[in-house]
Amino acid sequence: MQSPFPKAPDCPLGAKTCPLLKVLRRLHQECRRLLQLAQTDPLTGLFNRRCLLKALEREMERTRRTGLPTSLIMIDLDHFKRINDTFGHHTGDQVLRAVSRIWSQNIRQLDILCRYGGEEFAIILPGTRLPQAVRLAERLQAALAAGPVCPNAHSVAITASFGVASFRPEEKMSAKRFLARADRLLLQAKMQGRNNVQYQDSSLPPAPTGVTQEERLAFYTKRNAYEQTYHHASQTQDVLPDQRQRRRG
Amino acid sequence: MQARPRTFCLTSGKGGVGKTSLAVNLAYVLADRGKKVLLIDGDLGLANVDVLLGLPVCSTIQDIICRQGDPLESVSYLTPQLAILPASSGVPEMVTLGPEEHAQLDETLQDLIRHFEIVLVDTAAGIGPSVLWFGSWVDHIIVLVTPDPTSMTDAYALIKVMAQNYQRRRFHLLLNAVRNEQEGRQTFDTLAKVAERFLHLSLAYLGSTPLDPIVCQAIRDQVPFIRLAPNRPASQAVKILADRLASMVSCRPPRRQTPPKAKLA
Repeated sequence: MQSPFPKAPDCPLGAKTCPLLKVLRRLHQECRRLLQLAQTDPLTGLFNRRCLLKALEREMERTRRTGLPTSLIMIDLDHFKRINDTFGHHTGDQVLRAVSRIWSQNIRQLDILCRYGGEEFAIILPGTRLPQAVRLAERLQAALAAGPVCPNAHSVAITASFGVASFRPEEKMSAKRFLARADRLLLQAKMQGRNNVQYQDSSLPPAPTGVTQEERLAFYTKRNAYEQTYHHASQTQDVLPDQRQRRRG
Repeated sequence: MQARPRTFCLTSGKGGVGKTSLAVNLAYVLADRGKKVLLIDGDLGLANVDVLLGLPVCSTIQDIICRQGDPLESVSYLTPQLAILPASSGVPEMVTLGPEEHAQLDETLQDLIRHFEIVLVDTAAGIGPSVLWFGSWVDHIIVLVTPDPTSMTDAYALIKVMAQNYQRRRFHLLLNAVRNEQEGRQTFDTLAKVAERFLHLSLAYLGSTPLDPIVCQAIRDQVPFIRLAPNRPASQAVKILADRLASMVSCRPPRRQTPPKAKLA
């Protein structure tokens, strides 16, 4: 996110040292530092929960304006308490940091990864339809499975459960309800035995069926429908032996 | 207070079936019949209406949307009764307008069409956002079809999308480039049967226009064929069609089938 505090300007009189500008620069710096503190989670360096809600509201407004849906992934690490209890909280923190790093590397530039709390994460996917969001969630799941997450806890496989929801422009919904929808799906993923991705069918747009083969055939005359099947059959008969010969030769 | 104008769009799914040519000629005849007609070039990215009329264009729909131009300034009058609202050409972003831009377009067009009795929209080919939006915007959808199976399946696909995503139930079919009235009827019957069976829609038959070399000739000469040869078969057919449209206008206004705001698929 862009800082609302630009670099302090140079002295309009061209003075090398200006006490006022010095103070102004320090204040700008301090504001930037405070803003960052207010936005980020100190442990993982990801955006925090407060930031998530604001960003979500902004992206949902963008959806209403542009018509492109916003997707949201809620994630919870599986059996995280066990790691804390077995290896200690220090290792637990290491795991959280490692997981954050792996996921940061696997999201796209515009995606907003936040630590929601504890071992729960949320990702806002601006301008993304549900199928693409589900694909990304599956990619994050695979990325977690691919590498050893933390050297101290390498004997334990770290997995996560994912709930994926989409917000479309014609829906009337607050950011909180959108979060709750994704959270419900996450709960479902937990109940399905963890380490899986759940997404809501009703948040899928009505499947674009298009014109079916049956409908298309209704415009064909009987004659050319017959020729098509004949042509298809003759093709498979003719081509296959030819290919075999060529391979032998 | 003048009655709300009646809006029509000419659309086809497939390109090159004669939308623009027919739209221009229908607009001409309707204006000749004393109606105040506005012809909107709905092909926002590859406009052709002006080309077909050999019309110089200085301001288009794009200027209205992008530069907040006055819509009345973009309109050019061919006759006191016939006005054209041209669109831009070679502007890809005009093809993919978002909901907010469509809302803005609706607002300006509603304001503009108050000055007219009949509004004809010549849409782009395909089933892009602008085609679907104009389809949901107008009172009457006229689907142009030729007896080619490719044209028939494309028209059917368009009808299906408009019915499923925009809850449109009424489609007027106009058969173009038919060899005879019978071929037009047969083509219509095929489409109507499939629409009835799979979409539970009953399509309306608006009429047909014959295959006539004068149509191509007129396009190359950049004049409406109705002007070039008012007594040719194609011209006669267009006159009949125009009368049918005019009678649709004089009967009671249709119920608005969809809210003016387009629903996204």
